[in-house]
Amino acid sequence: MAIDSDPNSPGAWSRVFGGMRKFFAEAGDISAFAIRFFREILFPPYEFREVIRQSYEIGYKSFSLVGITAFIIGLVLTLQSRPTLVEFGAEAWLPAMVGISIIREIGPVITALICAGKIGSGIGAELGSMRVTEQIDAMEVSGTNPFKYIVVSRMVATTVMVPVLVILGDTIALYGSFIAVKLKGAVSLKLFLSQVFESIDYGDVIPSIVKSVFFGFAIGLTGCFKGYYTKKGTAGVGRSANSAVVIGSLLIFIIDLIAVQITQFFGIF
Amino acid sequence: MAEKMKIKEHVESDEIISVSHLKIAFGSNRVLTDFNLGLRKGENVVVLGKSGCGKSVLIKCMVRLLAYDSGSLKVFGKEVQGLSQKELDSMRLRMGFLFQSSALYDSMTVRENLEFPLRRHHISSNKNEVNERVKETLENVGLYHAIDLMPSELSGGMRKRIGLARSLILKPEIMLYDEPTTGLDPITAREISNLMLRLQRTYNTSSIIISHDMHCARLTADRLAVINDGICYAEGTFNTLQASNDPFVKAFFN
Repeated sequence: MAIDSDPNSPGAWSRVFGGMRKFFAEAGDISAFAIRFFREILFPPYEFREVIRQSYEIGYKSFSLVGITAFIIGLVLTLQSRPTLVEFGAEAWLPAMVGISIIREIGPVITALICAGKIGSGIGAELGSMRVTEQIDAMEVSGTNPFKYIVVSRMVATTVMVPVLVILGDTIALYGSFIAVKLKGAVSLKLFLSQVFESIDYGDVIPSIVKSVFFGFAIGLTGCFKGYYTKKGTAGVGRSANSAVVIGSLLIFIIDLIAVQITQFFGIF
Repeated sequence: MAEKMKIKEHVESDEIISVSHLKIAFGSNRVLTDFNLGLRKGENVVVLGKSGCGKSVLIKCMVRLLAYDSGSLKVFGKEVQGLSQKELDSMRLRMGFLFQSSALYDSMTVRENLEFPLRRHHISSNKNEVNERVKETLENVGLYHAIDLMPSELSGGMRKRIGLARSLILKPEIMLYDEPTTGLDPITAREISNLMLRLQRTYNTSSIIISHDMHCARLTADRLAVINDGICYAEGTFNTLQASNDPFVKAFFN
C-alpha cells in the first residue's frame, strides 16, 4: 500500500512509463491506420456504391439530431447573450456576435461532437461486432479487401458528410437565433441575416468548413480504428464504441486548437 | 529408398493441400510445433483435438488469415505465405470457409449475403443469372424460402446452412469447416453433417473439417487426424483410430 502511494517507488514509475508507452504505441497504430487509408484510397477498385450508402447512413440519419441541437444552441446562445449586450447598449450587435460565434466555433465543434457520439460510436460498435463475429474474416476469405470495403468507405463518408452537417447545422442555429431575437423585438429575417452576413466573410466560413473536414476525418478514423481492431469478444465491442467517442472528441478539440493557431498565424481572423 | 521417395513424391503431387513441419506460436504459446498433414482431391479429412490445440489456427493459416512462423503450407501446389495479394485472392476463390459462427453479414439479407461474393468477383453481371445461381444454391441447402430474411431472423442451424450456401456459391474445390456442428442440437447437427456429405458429392469438393463431434466425424471423414502437443499425433480411418489403444485417441471415441 505504501509502495503504491509513493510516487518515487519503482512501481509508480513503471506504471507511468507503461502508460506512456501504451499511449505512444496507440498513437503510432492510429497513424499507420491513417496512412493505410491514404494508400488504399488511391488505387482501384473504388467502392462508390458503398460510399454513397454510408453517406446516406451517416449524413441523412444524423441530420435530425444535428438540426434539433443546432436550433436549441442558436436559440439559447442568443437568449443568454442578450442581457449582457443590452446592459452595454450593444443590442444591435446581437445577430453579428451570435453569427460569428456559430459559424467560427460553436457550429462546427458542437456538430462534430454530436457526430463523434452518434457516428463514431456507431462505426466502432458495428465494426467491432463484425470483427468478433468473424464477418471481417469472412469478407477477406471471399477475396474482398475488408479495409477498402468497410473502412475506406466509412472514412470517406464521414469526411464528406460532417462538413455538410456543419453547414446545415449552422444554418439552423442561425434560424434559432433569429427566433430568439424575434421573441424580444420586431425584426425581419432579412434584416437579421443582413446583419449576420455583414459581420462575417470568407475568412470565417472557409476555415470553419476546412476544420469540419478534419473533424469528419478524425471521427471516421477513430471509429474505424477502434472497431476494426476490436478484441476480447462482446465486451470489447462496448469498449471500442466507448473509446471511439472519447478519442474522437479529444481529437476534435485538438484539431480545433491547431486550427485556431493556424488561422491566427496567417491573420485570417 | 529411391522407390520410397518416388512414391512420396507421387502422393505429394496428388495432394491439393500439403502441410509439412508447420510451426506457429503466439508469443510464448507454441500452438503447432511440427505439424504434417495432406489433403488429396475428393477426400474429407476431419481434424480432432482438444480445445485450444490449434485446429482453427491451422485452417486459418490455409487461407492466410493467420501467418505461420516456419515450415511449409502448400495449397494447389503453391506456398501460401509466398503468394502475392492477387494470387492469394484467386486461391481464395477456389476455397470455401464455413466459420464457427457462420459469419453472415448481418446488415444484409440472405439473398444479399449470397450475392455478395458473386458481385465482388464479377462472376456474373446478368441479374437473372445471379438470381438463378442464388436460387439453385439455396435450394441445395433447403432454404430457398428464407431468401429475404435477415440473419437475425434465422435459427442456429439455418445460419450454418446459409453460411454453407454462401461458401459454396463460388463452387470451390476445397471446403474448410470450422466446427460446423458446434452449438447445434443432435438432430440439427446430424442434418448438417448429412448436408455436408451430400454437397461434397454435388460440388465435388475436398474438405478439411475441424470438429469435436464424433457423429459428424463418422459420417463425413475419409480420414481423421488428431492434434496433440502441436503435432499430428495420430492419423487413420475412423475405424482404425476407434480401435486404437492409445489413451489420448481413445478418449475421443469414448
